[in-house]
Amino acid sequence: MTRRLLWFAPLVALAALATVPWLASPALIQFGITTLLLATLAQAWNIIGGFAGYASFGNSVFYGLGGYGTAIAMVQLHLPFGVGLALGAALAVVFALLLGLPVLRLRGHYFAIATLALAEAMTGIVANLDIAGRNIGLVLPLLKGDALFYELSLGLLALVTLTVFWISRSRFGFGLIAIREDEDAAAVMGVNTTLYKAAAFTLAGFFSALAGGIHTYWITFLDPISAFDITLNVMMIIMAIFGGAGSIFGPLIGALLLASISEVLSTEVTNLASLFFGLVIVVAVIFMPRGLADVMRRFKRLGWRYFSQNVRENRL
Amino acid sequence: MALLLQILVNGVLLGGLYALMALGLALVWGVLNIVNLAHGAFIMLGAYVSFYLFTLLQVDPFAALPLCMLSLFCFGYLLQRHVLNLIVRAPMFNTLLLTFGLDVVLMYLAQIVFSADFRVVNPSYAGANFSVAGATIPLVRAVAFAVALTLTLAVWLVLVHTRLGRAVRACAQNLVAARLYGVEPRTVYALTFGLGAALAGAAGDLYGVVSQISPYIGDALTAKSFAISIIGGLENPLGVVIGGLFLGILESLTSLYVGPTYTDVASFGVLVLVLILRPKGLLGRAA
Repeated sequence: MTRRLLWFAPLVALAALATVPWLASPALIQFGITTLLLATLAQAWNIIGGFAGYASFGNSVFYGLGGYGTAIAMVQLHLPFGVGLALGAALAVVFALLLGLPVLRLRGHYFAIATLALAEAMTGIVANLDIAGRNIGLVLPLLKGDALFYELSLGLLALVTLTVFWISRSRFGFGLIAIREDEDAAAVMGVNTTLYKAAAFTLAGFFSALAGGIHTYWITFLDPISAFDITLNVMMIIMAIFGGAGSIFGPLIGALLLASISEVLSTEVTNLASLFFGLVIVVAVIFMPRGLADVMRRFKRLGWRYFSQNVRENRL
Repeated sequence: MALLLQILVNGVLLGGLYALMALGLALVWGVLNIVNLAHGAFIMLGAYVSFYLFTLLQVDPFAALPLCMLSLFCFGYLLQRHVLNLIVRAPMFNTLLLTFGLDVVLMYLAQIVFSADFRVVNPSYAGANFSVAGATIPLVRAVAFAVALTLTLAVWLVLVHTRLGRAVRACAQNLVAARLYGVEPRTVYALTFGLGAALAGAAGDLYGVVSQISPYIGDALTAKSFAISIIGGLENPLGVVIGGLFLGILESLTSLYVGPTYTDVASFGVLVLVLILRPKGLLGRAA
């Protein structure tokens, strides 16, 4: 009986979240859209970073490409929003395959740095493209409909979470986890590591691009610096790790908690908000390095010793 | 031709400073296996130390160099000893995240304490220059270049020839073996990180002389230091000199022949290429 209830819980939560636009204030709906999109990005990062263990700093490139695909289609080519989203997603998929294949050969820090460099280079390239509005950016037509953007974001989040759920119990997911734990051993066991990594990178890119497209149309403006912002990428990573990378609901909980903390802080203590956010990261990394999901699993048994044990495990 | 010569000179002078910026990052990365995302923020702090010494106490920025280094050394030593040593054995993600958190904290602390205004360190000789073979050389940049290269060389000599240097290199190669030979890694790690921070402080001091300071300069400097460390490779401390000069000249040439907006594309494009083709750096042995 409880098992069946557990299955229903996400559906009930989804249904409850879907009613928010009819009940909540405009400010709360806007906070909801931002949080849902951040959760989508964190969940998409979870595929490549959490499951495959590749610390991608290039997911903001996908996000930016999704935004630019949408903006270029709508502003320069006068196509509908749906086509723009598809174009953005297609750009991200092509990018993931073309650059993912060479870059995914790198491991550890080197992969992280290479993806970081790709994001920096993309900012520079897009700032020089006429069709993308150079470094001034593009202004999209205004669509007043926060409820629509909210439901779209919620749908996208449900889709990416469903995908992660599928990954977590599929052969593909086990392959990714094997790559994370020991890539050479995974290859020996017959996992096609190149294909698996490229697929994970592409999936992450696909969902990030859709999130970027929705966000761009929602705020109706896009410029190179905000589109490929590294800070956004770091936010995804922090949210995923804070909640528990490699789990299904960890990134969602992490995104919700951290977005709420930063929202409360920025209304209460405007100029201290980012400072506190930095401190939260530092404290969380030291005391709960495996995220909330792990805290929930083991805190009951270990109590407060859980935190000191974490420190003891990782200190010099 | 004269223009090309001038551009090359500019690139080389810039490159020397770049090398010093990257040296601290490369040292900490190579020895502690920590990619310090707050490295640029340390450079920023060093620049502010120099700025306040200059404006409040009229200390010449070049004379302030040892003070900048000392203050950042203490800061880095304490940080490693009491914070970073707690997570040294954690997975790579965690060290990246922790230093990113530090970067955010330092940046916004600086914004609150120093304000977001752009600052310049402007000694009386700031505009002076001399010319060699038709190329104009700004005096402060030339001195900054010389100081940067001297410091880089000094660090290299310390690493190769002193007992401390050998202990540091031993920790980088094999922590367990180093411990067995009586090296205390907690202290060596803190000293190394302190030295990395001191180098960032020196770079910040020189940066303040040749450019503008604000709390937000850190991230771009971290990214540049990365690029230089990768291009030069982590195996040899002199790699950063090659990487720094390479990047300085590349940026100068790009801004002349392609356009100033393409400098980041060029430098990060080269970085990706180097990573893919020669992951151990230009000087490193091929993988």
